[in-house]
Amino acid sequence: MKSAAGAFLGSAASRLLPATIPFRFFGAALVYHVLAWLALLAGAQQWPHFGGGLGWPLAALHVFTLGVIVMTAIGASLQLLPVATRQPVLSERLPRLIWWLYVPAVAALTLGMGLELAPLLAAGALAIVCALLLYALLLVANLRGARGMPGVVSHGWAALGCLAVALASALALVGNYVSLPSLGRPAALALHVAFAGYGFMGLLALGLSAILVPMFTLSPLPDVRRHLTSCAFAVVGLGCAAAAALGNEPRAWRIAAIGAGTIAVALHLALMQAALRDGMRHDLGRSFVLVKIAWVALAASLLAALAIALGTPLPGLASLFGLLLVGAWLLTFTLAMLQRILPFLASMHAARGRRRPPLPSTFSTARPLAIHFACHLAALAGLALALATESSALAALAAATGAVGAIAYLAFYIVLLRRLAVPAPAPAPAGSRSQVAGEG
Amino acid sequence: MQTLPPTAPTPPDPSGGPRRWRDAEGEHIDVRGLAAPAPLIEILRLVTGADGAAVIVHHDRDPQLLYPRLAELGWVADRIAGDAGEVRLRLTPEE
Repeated sequence: MKSAAGAFLGSAASRLLPATIPFRFFGAALVYHVLAWLALLAGAQQWPHFGGGLGWPLAALHVFTLGVIVMTAIGASLQLLPVATRQPVLSERLPRLIWWLYVPAVAALTLGMGLELAPLLAAGALAIVCALLLYALLLVANLRGARGMPGVVSHGWAALGCLAVALASALALVGNYVSLPSLGRPAALALHVAFAGYGFMGLLALGLSAILVPMFTLSPLPDVRRHLTSCAFAVVGLGCAAAAALGNEPRAWRIAAIGAGTIAVALHLALMQAALRDGMRHDLGRSFVLVKIAWVALAASLLAALAIALGTPLPGLASLFGLLLVGAWLLTFTLAMLQRILPFLASMHAARGRRRPPLPSTFSTARPLAIHFACHLAALAGLALALATESSALAALAAATGAVGAIAYLAFYIVLLRRLAVPAPAPAPAGSRSQVAGEG
Repeated sequence: MQTLPPTAPTPPDPSGGPRRWRDAEGEHIDVRGLAAPAPLIEILRLVTGADGAAVIVHHDRDPQLLYPRLAELGWVADRIAGDAGEVRLRLTPEE
């Protein structure tokens, strides 16, 4: 009889993908993580005064969002959503194709932004749209036959809808750069920020949290009704944000959007707090310190959005909002969860032929993660301070610190891969585990 | 290993929780039909709170995500004979 992992890797009935698929997305995300901080370092001179437009600050923003956050989200959702929905992934070839299309496309788009080469930017944007539409196809196929976890599934559908708006508004913004007729820049930008940041990336993060947080804290699953209500308020908030971008009375719609978003976030955070409180594991380490900081930043980003909507005359407020939304919430949450997921997946895949799988901690190295923890938080604080003082030197120092942290994180990943590559002992004799592949 | 007093299987939980009972084999938990990741969490919560007695899991699939978490807790899983279409596991603390 085959071992569990052998069965898992070999069975066509498996709802889990071979390790190489999620790991290639995670690896690319961590390389882009280093490059994102370096791009910000290149744009440090402009960053404290950044008000939009092409250049390295915009490139850095998109390396963080597309290169790190979305890249990780694709890998994690391809691995986790089949677990939640009890549906296999439509195809194993398609994720590989998406990776080959998406990784260079992100490089083209962000280089086009940094070097101010509109044709390169447009080519990268088109390829990204194609890659994300293929990803959407996988997601639709998975969600259509979903059984169980209606809260996670609803977040998945809502994220998909938001992806459509985010891509359409992105193309409109690119159209402005290459002088093609499109939606006006302010409307397209407002739609893009809301539907990419809070919509696609945010809803995926909130949805997958309902699997990840209980899994790591060993808490009961979140209350389905509250989880669905949180999703509904988020969707209402995004609808109001769309009305603000496209219609009259934008201030009133924006405030309504922030109000609905605040209720959605409050409900979600209450569910997560309950998971932490009721979970059987309380010593959750640095990764959950980062998760908690990310949750605070999510709430703070809504406050910053409200200040912007009310026209508060604070210098650098728009950049602070972006820092809170992308850096402190989405990026911090992504990196925190990834450092928990990676050793766990490595252990699962290394279990081949062993009665007792290697401990996840076997694949984790504490020092690089400790360095990343300190550098990441110092970099975020430094960037906030750079905005407050309008200091380019401080922005450069913060970006360099972030790059050191990102290199440490990459070192953690390389060590993990090297340990995973160590051959397993000879397969265990028959009789230990089943051949029916599946999940917990 | 500790001997547990037998108990009758609990009726199906209307809220969708697992069925649990106890016999000479150990503490049983039936997670068949539960949506993931509920089986994983219910099994781990039972193991975490267990007093060293064997836990018998009745599952409808091989719980791949379970094994790394079990190893973290110092437990191992062995497949034992079960009904048709069932994956039955015996979980014990590692010696």
